[in-house]
Amino acid sequence: MSEQVLKVTDLTTCYGSISAIKSISFYALDREIVGIVGPNGAGKTTLLESIAGSVQPLEGIIEFLGHRIEHWSVLKRRQLGLMLIPQEANIFPMMSVKKNLEVSVILSDRDKREELISYAYELFPILYERRKQIASTLSGGQQRMLAVGIGIASNARVMLIDEPSIGLAPKLVTKFFETLKKIRDDTKKTIVLSEQNIKVLNIADRLFGLEAGEIRFDERKENLSRDAVKDLYLGSIS
Amino acid sequence: MGGILSLPVLGVAVIYGITGIPNFAIGVIGVFGGFVTWYFLSYSMGLAIAIGVGVCFIIGWIVQRVLLTPISEMGGDATLFFIITIAVGFVFEGMLRAIFPRPNISLELPRIGTISFAGYSVEGFKIIALLFAIGTLIIIRLMEEHTEVGKSWQATSQNLKLAKLIGIKTTQVFSIASGIGCALACIGAIFWGSLYNLQLSSGWDLGFLGFIVAVVGGIGNIWGGLISALIMGMVMSFSGYLLGGEWQSVILYCIVILVLIIAPKGILGSERSL
Repeated sequence: MSEQVLKVTDLTTCYGSISAIKSISFYALDREIVGIVGPNGAGKTTLLESIAGSVQPLEGIIEFLGHRIEHWSVLKRRQLGLMLIPQEANIFPMMSVKKNLEVSVILSDRDKREELISYAYELFPILYERRKQIASTLSGGQQRMLAVGIGIASNARVMLIDEPSIGLAPKLVTKFFETLKKIRDDTKKTIVLSEQNIKVLNIADRLFGLEAGEIRFDERKENLSRDAVKDLYLGSIS
Repeated sequence: MGGILSLPVLGVAVIYGITGIPNFAIGVIGVFGGFVTWYFLSYSMGLAIAIGVGVCFIIGWIVQRVLLTPISEMGGDATLFFIITIAVGFVFEGMLRAIFPRPNISLELPRIGTISFAGYSVEGFKIIALLFAIGTLIIIRLMEEHTEVGKSWQATSQNLKLAKLIGIKTTQVFSIASGIGCALACIGAIFWGSLYNLQLSSGWDLGFLGFIVAVVGGIGNIWGGLISALIMGMVMSFSGYLLGGEWQSVILYCIVILVLIIAPKGILGSERSL
């Protein structure tokens, strides 16, 4: 049993008087891929942003590598090794691909920087081909690759990725997920991703079902039926 | 004219380009630094300029760090920033009144004389001011390409949220940008004060003119600002020459309105980038 690197207890986050997530408890183990699944508006993004510090939770505890971090700034959480790749606006649009990656290694050890950038290029050769291109001129799929590249360059211990597959062509989604799995296997990091795409079942070790801000299930993949996940999206009949 | 104008314009562009906050106090802070320079001028010119510019950098840093950045974190909007930075401007104008009880000063810097070409003669200081502005711009560009600090500025200006997420100390970037912007305004004020004179209220002229010129160029767009400063400077000089000084601002602001009707985002567009 590996250790819990990330642990969230009874987390509630509100926008105004509306609570987006209600008393959520959640954890991620070392080197695990956790999929947070649920329909639109389930609170997936809010959960990830609360963990990363982009939004302030109303109450609850967030522990990361043994530290209580719920009152820490985004920067301090990042320095400890937590990185969120947002769903939108996840690249620096007017910078070249190369510069996007170069600026993202800012917190990594100097002697590891080259290696991290090469690794990002190795995973996504198209980024290397287009390294001189301005990021906003890449296609949607390539921009998504760059966003993950930025995550790799950041060398975070736990990478939170918000809906990486949204808007990608079905064929690309499968490949993209395989790449995420490879990243975990190569780098031995923890990946937490929120997803609406059921293909996440193929790579996740554990799935965490969220609906209307509340937990529906928290199961290892082996124990989970595809139907349970489908019900979450379509609403169960019973 | 355009040469000197280019410095506060550059200051506005650097601050707005990086922080996204319009700081209307920049001109007054710059003139404050001009008065500080004047005060120390009898000791040594270099030292006096360094102190004046240094004071402005520190003021810009502090105003950003303790006031503007926290307000922007709380989600302050443009109107709030307008009122707050105007208030900051009045605070510094009031301090000028209290500390330097003289209505106007002239900075006696060694004159360089006029440079003439193609039948026109231009004051040497104006050329130097323009070269200084262009030099600053090139340095900023080089830093963006080759240094970590420069890349962090650029990243912060393009996507603040992501810049924070990847671990850039955006608060520090904001403070430095504000310090540099105010320091540039101060250098502009020093040139202004040596060519014309500095009054207690000159800061508003310098600041607002800087702002308007920056908006015409495409606010936050440094190249646009520089081009706009040159054009506006020429407009002012020529309208003053042809119609007399009292018509200068009428012509200038009519052109400003016209340009903004045709191109609401300014001459080169207002991509918030450096």
